[in-house]
Amino acid sequence: VNATDTYTDEITAYVEAVRTAVAGLPEEVREGLLEDLPEHLAEVVADDIGTLAERLGPPAVYAAELLASAGYVGGGFPDPPPQPRRPGLVRRVRSSLGARLRELDRSSGPLFGKPRASAFLIQLRPAWWVLRGYLVSMVLASVLGDGSQIGLLPRVGGSDLIALGLLATCVIASIWFGRRQFVMGRPVRLIHKGATAVLILIGLVGFSDLDQTNRYDPYMNAGYSDPYGNVQDVFVYDREGKLVEGARLLDQNGQPIRLGVPNCYDDQGNYVAGAQESVYPYCPRNAPFRMTGEAPDAQVVPTPSR
Amino acid sequence: VEATQLLKGVLDLAVLAVLRDEDGYGYDILRRLRVAGLEEVGDASVYGTLRRLFNSGLLNAYVVPSDEGPHRKYYALNAAGRAELASNGKIWQEFAATMNDLLRERGTA
Repeated sequence: VNATDTYTDEITAYVEAVRTAVAGLPEEVREGLLEDLPEHLAEVVADDIGTLAERLGPPAVYAAELLASAGYVGGGFPDPPPQPRRPGLVRRVRSSLGARLRELDRSSGPLFGKPRASAFLIQLRPAWWVLRGYLVSMVLASVLGDGSQIGLLPRVGGSDLIALGLLATCVIASIWFGRRQFVMGRPVRLIHKGATAVLILIGLVGFSDLDQTNRYDPYMNAGYSDPYGNVQDVFVYDREGKLVEGARLLDQNGQPIRLGVPNCYDDQGNYVAGAQESVYPYCPRNAPFRMTGEAPDAQVVPTPSR
Repeated sequence: VEATQLLKGVLDLAVLAVLRDEDGYGYDILRRLRVAGLEEVGDASVYGTLRRLFNSGLLNAYVVPSDEGPHRKYYALNAAGRAELASNGKIWQEFAATMNDLLRERGTA
């Protein structure tokens, strides 16, 4: 019992010293902070040898640590938010999305032999710089150019030399810009991000354009666009608007131009003999501007073909 | 970096963590932290932290009479405390993972 009393005196003295040291606090706060201290110190004392001051340090130091950890002085522990202030929806979605992305980043890291996938992407940065330079040069060329086709090089006025020079300048500038890692203010950063997004968009559009062209052009040339595909017969009219019969069509090499099918049927669908290959029209009775019942004009028959 | 400096930021979390499975009184909690390896942790810090967590509504407290010594005030996690432990625990784990990666990449660890 004596020992306990000694402890109690020691504890009381220590607590009083601490109380003095935290005298600056409002009384309510102070007493709330210290209400369990005697019992707590009793445990400390009971557990081990040595005086409280030896084990815990001077009361003033103890008091300072107490204040800091209990959140009563600045720079110590920030108080947790008073009550679960629900964060806004945008912030919640953003933070959960961010957490998920970070998780994906980490889990897919081994695929690239890195702790994080982003570590691998960062290595690819210089490649982006080069691509960015190319895209910028293409945009510049289409702005500066006269509207003619620029192809895959940033040609201005159809000049390959200017194209190569512009390309080299833009790529080098882009790499330089990338390596400098400018510290950008918020507005500048937004502009930079926006411009990057636009550039990527332009790149994608250009890419898909090129892709389309390369995929469909051969078919186009092979005849899907042939405007004469459904021609069955050819009617030639002379200067006076009279139908020319027995006309021949030749190309620049003197080769006969074959169009349509050399068959002729009358209104009842009976075969009419006499149509000759490459001698037009095959079927004069079907002339588009002929009056019904009008006979083919015999006067304008040119030299019959052999 | 001194361990005590690092400890300042995470003592809340450490206290919540040692209370996850079992309620405890102040000195008991201090002992658990030290046994777990946080030997630098100060008595006053734990006491102050407990008071603050209690005041912020993250802990419940109840007094258990003791035969051989003073009454003991036991602290227990309540629902808010568990939620805090879960969310801050996650933040810490991501932070620690980031630091570990960083140290590994630099060949320091």
